[in-house]
Amino acid sequence: MALNFGRWTSGGESVTAEEILQQIQGRFGDEIRTAEVRREEACLTIRADRNYEICRFIKEELGYDYLNCLSGVDWPADNEMEVVYAISSLKQPGKIMLRVRLPRDEPVLGSVVPLWGTANWHEREAFDLFGIRFENHPDLRRILLSEDWIGHPLQKDYQDERFVPYPWDDRKPGGVARPTTA
Amino acid sequence: MTTVNLQLEQIKERTAESMEEMWVNMGPQHPSTHGVLRLLLKLDGEVIRECIPYLGYMHRCHEKIGENRAYVQIIPYTDRLDYLASMYNNWAYCLACERLMGIPVPERAEYLRVIIGELQRIASHLIWLGTFGLDLGNFTIFMWCFREREMVLDLFEAVSGQRLNYSFMRIGGLALDVPEGWLADVKAFLEWFKPRLPEYDRLSTDQIIWQKRIQGVGILKPEDAISYACSGPVLRGSGFHWDLRRDDPYSIYDRFDFDIPVGESGDVWDRFWVRRREMEESVKIVEQALKEIPPGPVLSPVAKKLRAPVGDIYSRVETPRGELGFYIVADGSERPYRYKVRAPTFVNLSALPVMLPGYFIADCVAVLGSIDIVLGEVDR
Repeated sequence: MALNFGRWTSGGESVTAEEILQQIQGRFGDEIRTAEVRREEACLTIRADRNYEICRFIKEELGYDYLNCLSGVDWPADNEMEVVYAISSLKQPGKIMLRVRLPRDEPVLGSVVPLWGTANWHEREAFDLFGIRFENHPDLRRILLSEDWIGHPLQKDYQDERFVPYPWDDRKPGGVARPTTA
Repeated sequence: MTTVNLQLEQIKERTAESMEEMWVNMGPQHPSTHGVLRLLLKLDGEVIRECIPYLGYMHRCHEKIGENRAYVQIIPYTDRLDYLASMYNNWAYCLACERLMGIPVPERAEYLRVIIGELQRIASHLIWLGTFGLDLGNFTIFMWCFREREMVLDLFEAVSGQRLNYSFMRIGGLALDVPEGWLADVKAFLEWFKPRLPEYDRLSTDQIIWQKRIQGVGILKPEDAISYACSGPVLRGSGFHWDLRRDDPYSIYDRFDFDIPVGESGDVWDRFWVRRREMEESVKIVEQALKEIPPGPVLSPVAKKLRAPVGDIYSRVETPRGELGFYIVADGSERPYRYKVRAPTFVNLSALPVMLPGYFIADCVAVLGSIDIVLGEVDR
């Protein structure tokens, strides 16, 4: 029962990143905040409320069914949190970077676990380290930190007196971090 | 009803009462979890019904450390992710930075990276084969595999001075050129190593005990492999003809001729057999690279203070364990604004709860071993 998809570059019509963008924009025009092609990747920023439908469209109708990575990013300057999906496929070329911006004081997003099993642990990690809550997640618990941990360490303003990183000194040549003496 | 039948009925009733499902803890101090991994297993007699992994015993918030270090300073930390394939982690990280900053890599450095990377793949698969044999109770293959792995470590010690955490790659090439005569040493190692593979087969592939232990166990269905985004030998064991070295080529892998071993049914045997054959393919790649390697510099001229342009990148390579991705967000400063590691075994391990149910508790160790987890990378 070897599937042997073979090499996608050798056969079949390849879809360009522009075409992927057009298809998504044609379907969800109002939901897309920005769309551009960078490094041959289709990069999209979408509104938060319909991320599940857009992911389902990408997975089931465009055929990009392989979720490489799901990552949180904290943007305190904009007072926003971001979730980035890196999506690709084993059957066709092309990559999609899907970004969702969330309000920082209430980061809630629909879970994509029903579409991709791998999102389970990735979303738990984003919850653990960023405090982003995923609605309809089957088992939203901390994954890397202990259950009783307070705070979310990858938030930019996270402070813990036990773990103070060496302050960054831009003036020192080579940008070497050094310990404080206070 | 005869007495014997009556007794049988009573035994059946009693066992029906006492054979409730029960939760058993495995690890974190279990020798077969290859580190500190805790599994909570729901057992029905000897059969596993459910599995819940608990991670994080080695968590050190690698990503937060990365946000507080310059791009070059992160390289030694990447060694500690997958400490059995440190060279490949260095490579994956440097490649992500090179793609982000648009830094070229000299030709000789690319060839040396391929040679070193494939030697690292051999060493990593050897340690996997050895410890997997240990899990199954085959001690001899453990010693034999470590014998050859030691030779690879000696080769790496000659180039970098380190035995495990090399930090040998740099953004834009390599730290140093290899010492004189090193390439001949690599060739000699390959000549020694090739006849060893049939010897391992005598201890593993041809062994009836080995076959019976792992055939038809821990089946990962193709749709689960895609849903859980498995990669590397776990994905190929389930029948997918997919390797980033060929399908999303990086470095100079498109110049070499090599096969991609693929399994059929997705059981432990297929994952074992894929890795076993990948060692042969790595030997083929190194032999081709040794023939073509040009002289020249090994490091591009790179600014002392590296600054990445504003933007982000998701860059991925095929390490011995699967797809290692680095997601880096740059804000124009000397440090990454966000630095995320998509660790292959973290993702592959998330498929364990769908692989285990329905198999005996004795198979648990074999299935877990076949994923080839490294907890340094899972917990980060």
